[in-house]
Amino acid sequence: MLQAIELTKHYASIPAVQNVTFELKAGEILGCLGPNGSGKSTTVKMLIGLLEPSRGRVLFRGEDIRKDLMSYRRIVGYVPEEPNLYPYLSGREYLELVGILRGMPQPQLGKKIDSLLALFSLHPSRHSAMASYSKGMRQRVLLIAALLDDPEVLILDEPLSGLDVSSALVLKSLIRALGQQGKAVFYCSHVLEVVERVCSHLLILRQGRVMVSGPSGDIQRRIGHASLEGTFHRLVEDVDPDKVTREILDVIRVA
Amino acid sequence: MTSRLWFANKWEAYARKPFPLLVRLSINRIFRGSNADEEEGLNLNIGLLLALLAVPGGFISIFLFDKYGSFLQWLRGQTNFDPLTAALPDEYFFIVLSMVVTGGVGVWWWDSIFPDRRDFTNLGHLPIPTARIFVANSVAILVLTCICAIDVNGASSILFPLIVGASQLRFSFMAQFAGVHALVVVLASIFSFLAVFATAGLLMLLLPYAVFRRISLYARSLIAASLVAMLSTSFAVPRMLLDLPRSTHSSLRLLPSAWFLGFCQLLRGRADPVLAELGHVAMFALVSASAVAAAAYTLAYRRCFVRLPELADAPPGRLGARSSWVFHLLDLFVFRTPFQRAGYRFVIKTLFRNEAHALALGGFLALGAVFASQALFSAFNGKGIPDFPTSNVLSIPLILGYCMLLGIRFVFDIPAPLRANWIFRFLLDDSVHESAALVRRVILCLVSPWIFLVALPIYLHFWGWTVGLFHIVLVTVWLALLTEVLLVGFRKFPFTCTYPSFEPSAVIAVIASVLGYFAFTAMTSQLESEALATPVAGGVFLVMSFGVWYAVHRVRKSVVETDQHLIFEDSPAAHFELLRLTDGG
Repeated sequence: MLQAIELTKHYASIPAVQNVTFELKAGEILGCLGPNGSGKSTTVKMLIGLLEPSRGRVLFRGEDIRKDLMSYRRIVGYVPEEPNLYPYLSGREYLELVGILRGMPQPQLGKKIDSLLALFSLHPSRHSAMASYSKGMRQRVLLIAALLDDPEVLILDEPLSGLDVSSALVLKSLIRALGQQGKAVFYCSHVLEVVERVCSHLLILRQGRVMVSGPSGDIQRRIGHASLEGTFHRLVEDVDPDKVTREILDVIRVA
Repeated sequence: MTSRLWFANKWEAYARKPFPLLVRLSINRIFRGSNADEEEGLNLNIGLLLALLAVPGGFISIFLFDKYGSFLQWLRGQTNFDPLTAALPDEYFFIVLSMVVTGGVGVWWWDSIFPDRRDFTNLGHLPIPTARIFVANSVAILVLTCICAIDVNGASSILFPLIVGASQLRFSFMAQFAGVHALVVVLASIFSFLAVFATAGLLMLLLPYAVFRRISLYARSLIAASLVAMLSTSFAVPRMLLDLPRSTHSSLRLLPSAWFLGFCQLLRGRADPVLAELGHVAMFALVSASAVAAAAYTLAYRRCFVRLPELADAPPGRLGARSSWVFHLLDLFVFRTPFQRAGYRFVIKTLFRNEAHALALGGFLALGAVFASQALFSAFNGKGIPDFPTSNVLSIPLILGYCMLLGIRFVFDIPAPLRANWIFRFLLDDSVHESAALVRRVILCLVSPWIFLVALPIYLHFWGWTVGLFHIVLVTVWLALLTEVLLVGFRKFPFTCTYPSFEPSAVIAVIASVLGYFAFTAMTSQLESEALATPVAGGVFLVMSFGVWYAVHRVRKSVVETDQHLIFEDSPAAHFELLRLTDGG
């Protein structure tokens, strides 16, 4: 369904992403992992057409997304990394804005928004300005905005950030269910446990390059670690956590 | 269905279409500011702001009734009163006022004219062409410019012609006068806004983004200072314009406000050749500003909006750490406690890095610079340096010091992002704090270099040791006393407290600041000038200084202990207190 072919992005002369290639099929949930600065957000922005790659292409059903970006964006739902919303709009007003800009028919839009607000426990505060929302509430607004138009592809950048336990449980279950319905989900996160439970496939980045990609079970077997944490540590992390811990403790003790 | 209801329904249906929604979103962003903090901003709504912008023109028109009232003219014996000649200085003043207010609004909206990261995050991934966002933003700017221009000049366009035309019997005179006045001030407003807008666009276009961000603050301060300077010319320029035909190279020809006065006189058919020429310059300038603003905006928009995600992902820049030795030096001699040391670093970095604070302080300094330059010009006025300093010469450091101190005190009340103030709430003991001592020392560090490194050598060089030392000692003592007056009741860690609520006392504070300015600068310098001539008069200063110090001391003594605690929320004091007389037996 969605293919990234040798995606490369340079900022000035600094490479942020280099030759990233992977495929996301319908019904797959692809977990994208990597330490800070590994190129996850840049990859996400190229996938949704916000950034133009310096080299390489993103294909949707075999067509370059840049050929008809507007049609492509109509079938993509996106949750950005930061819940940077308009603080003076209410949650409902924001969702209405997104729905109208997506060209959704208006009579049904209002009902759909109200139902989703109720299901995400935001109905009581739907008319309050989002300035007064907690981080979790804003994140839920973003999730509703991404799901509102029943997208075929979902691109989620840290979607659990700030969510409370029950909302997180609902979202994890929802992502699995969306995958079963045939949606393609690209899931970026730092939380290894969630990726391990939710994602069927993995893409691990380091310094802008793909370290490994494929079905999660295959990768773990190949690396020889039963847990994703072990696999990730083996592939990505240069540091010895025990050694760094000892050094931090030493520094803290100095008066 | 009535036609009104039909129209309302049609309008509602239209307003919910994508394009009007985008326009509304852009208007909101421009009005509220792109980097507006979410809960802590000054919550001015559009209605309130428009009302505030309309007030000066309305009030000033009413004050002019005294000048144009036919009965009052008769009492004064003015029988040959030509309203058009008499209205020239006032017309000039209204042109300047409209340009300053609208230009000020342009400076205020400087950062929000272009879509920001928030717009990009929320709109960039939606199926809307970038061109539509561009057009919506352009329409929003156009709408706001027109609303602002009409609002700023609305009251004066009605009241001023009414007052000027009151002595005339013909209605056509009033209608013609009103039409020309309204057209000229609205065009002057639009020119001013577009000029600011074009400057922002050109800077963004020509400079690398990081450099643009860095100099943006200075450019805004410079424009704000120029606007204040233009306002201060409004009383002198009309008189000087009468001499314009005789001086071919006068710098007055470069003043945009003079161009629009020329345009006004051209439309009234009363322009001499020089004013007519200036009137043509006004039209040319308006067209040029519109063209440059449109071109710069279009090109800068593409650069700004399309590159936003790249800028967000680019490696972060470094803040300079070159001044670290200064902090070490000050730690040794001025800031002796951890509270003061941490506070000074925080205050200085916030003052120079946070745009809102730097702009507000820059505004006060610009005001000081304008007043000081006026004093300087009236002191010399084409003459050489006098043997004995006049009161105008003596007032310059006092003017600069007053504006600086008032500015510093004012900006300390503007909160930096309040979400970050938890660290101070968490770490500081609210009953044992040194906020006043901290602010006193910060003021000392900011003001003393100007006094001792700039003012002192100048006065010593031109007027010798006695005058120089006496003047600098007096300025220092006076500024120290002013600091104490400004710090009465101060119990905040700078920038960490919510905005003070707007109370009637705010109006009194503004009036007191204006009166204080005259007392502090004009009266003091006059007295000092006399004291330099007759040293016995110097005793007056001793008595006055002691009086002020004692008053401050008494007020401090009368403050109860709970009112000395450090605060992070500036809420008004309760009007009544419940005395639980039965509690505790």
